[in-house]
Amino acid sequence: MLLHRMLGRAVRPLLALTLTAGLAAPALAHGPTRQKVIEKVTIDAPAAAVWARIKNFNALKDWHPAVADSPADKGNEVGSVRELKLKGGGELTENLEGYSDEQMKYSYRAKDGGALPVTNYTSTIQVTAEGNNKAMVEWRGAFYRAFPNNDPPSDKNDEAAVAAITGVYQSGLANLKKLAEAK
Amino acid sequence: MRRCAFALVAFAQCVFCAGASAEPFAYITNQKSNDVSVIDLATLRVVATVPVGRSPAGVVAVSATGRVFVSNPDSKTLSVIDMREQRVVATLPAGDGPVGIDASPDGRRLYAADWYTNRLLVFDAEALRPLDAIAVGRAPAGVAVHADGKTVYVAERDDDRIAAIDTTTSQVRARVQVGSHPFALLFDAARKRLYALNVLSDDLSVIDTRSLVVIATVKTGKAPYGAALAEGGTLLYVTNQHDDSVTVIDATTLQVRQTLGGFGYPEGIAAHGNSVYVVNWMDDNVSVLDAKTGRLQRTIATGQNSRGFGAFIGTPPK
Repeated sequence: MLLHRMLGRAVRPLLALTLTAGLAAPALAHGPTRQKVIEKVTIDAPAAAVWARIKNFNALKDWHPAVADSPADKGNEVGSVRELKLKGGGELTENLEGYSDEQMKYSYRAKDGGALPVTNYTSTIQVTAEGNNKAMVEWRGAFYRAFPNNDPPSDKNDEAAVAAITGVYQSGLANLKKLAEAK
Repeated sequence: MRRCAFALVAFAQCVFCAGASAEPFAYITNQKSNDVSVIDLATLRVVATVPVGRSPAGVVAVSATGRVFVSNPDSKTLSVIDMREQRVVATLPAGDGPVGIDASPDGRRLYAADWYTNRLLVFDAEALRPLDAIAVGRAPAGVAVHADGKTVYVAERDDDRIAAIDTTTSQVRARVQVGSHPFALLFDAARKRLYALNVLSDDLSVIDTRSLVVIATVKTGKAPYGAALAEGGTLLYVTNQHDDSVTVIDATTLQVRQTLGGFGYPEGIAAHGNSVYVVNWMDDNVSVLDAKTGRLQRTIATGQNSRGFGAFIGTPPK
């Protein structure tokens, strides 16, 4: 499957034929159960100030404790591609799919095969004002587990996928809170 | 004694009948909580939460027989809910991963797409027995039955095609190439059309079911996932998962009328009377919209990871 992902769409029919001929008809498709994670944090700081910290698509390295580098090739323009390098090793490529400075949110989609045990992963982060000096940040994601067929191994099942994304969001939001509330 | 018990049951049923309204129910599959939220559309309240199999996704509420069929891909079964009792009355084995389901209008046949084995499963929906398994293309997802019951359409997602299957012979009569990754299908009886929603090309293919030709392609929002005809069939509502929006299309001119925002990863959608019901997977609720204006009227909390993939509204027979 990894090979299939790396080769991409163009050679898919050929590969599908090869695989189907060699094995007992594996389904080259996602399992039907999409998972989600929603994490929220309330921060004692004005919403505009919190948004200012995260609004740039390439700023992830400045506030997420697990990210070493996060350059984006077209800034905050839809279609901009961000290449993440994680501090513990591993990489992720993410494509900016929606951006609204007014609504203080952006959405992105990760390329399959990155450091997280998920596929078809989309995510949105949004800041909402709660009065003048409080902000709520919500980070939510939808994804499938890494293993596309029935009976996944434990490191590629639904639970592993949910645990990984939950970890990313919780650690990121906790650090953002710490940075934004620091005097 | 036995006669007495029978009379009691009959009496109890009558009381229930008298108490129930003429309005139908909406059956919302909740993929994470493994249950179905039953909404009484007269009161807009959840009147029952029915435990089903694992990760329920597809649903069809068949008013002709008062049965609701739910596909449970992770337990590889179909659950059968009786609309009068709001409980599961049978569970059927259904391949390796049933997803989209639909029934013939008379309620006698049930069709379920088996995602992993690339087959369309056919059931006798009265006797609840398997009848056939028809080989189809890769990753079969949405299923729609023609109003005459003679043709069933299957979205072959990974082949970017729709298969039209003759229900008498169980043969694929034709295949129609559509956009990228068609998932949900909707049959428009008034116009003899089939709408195929293409998740990756962000559009819908309009197929004339007489000629089996794509007569138009309509741009939607990102990842169109569900469709319903509302306002007497004049408006086509489409949910856009990745835009958190709903596109409202004039079904006659196929022009986009408006785009509504504020949904949470909207998936299933169905209409009844003057209202449209949108299932929000991310927010675990159903938005009730005024069909004419698209305005939000009410939000109803459901179970976790609600999908409602299919024709989820039905009325129990009198």
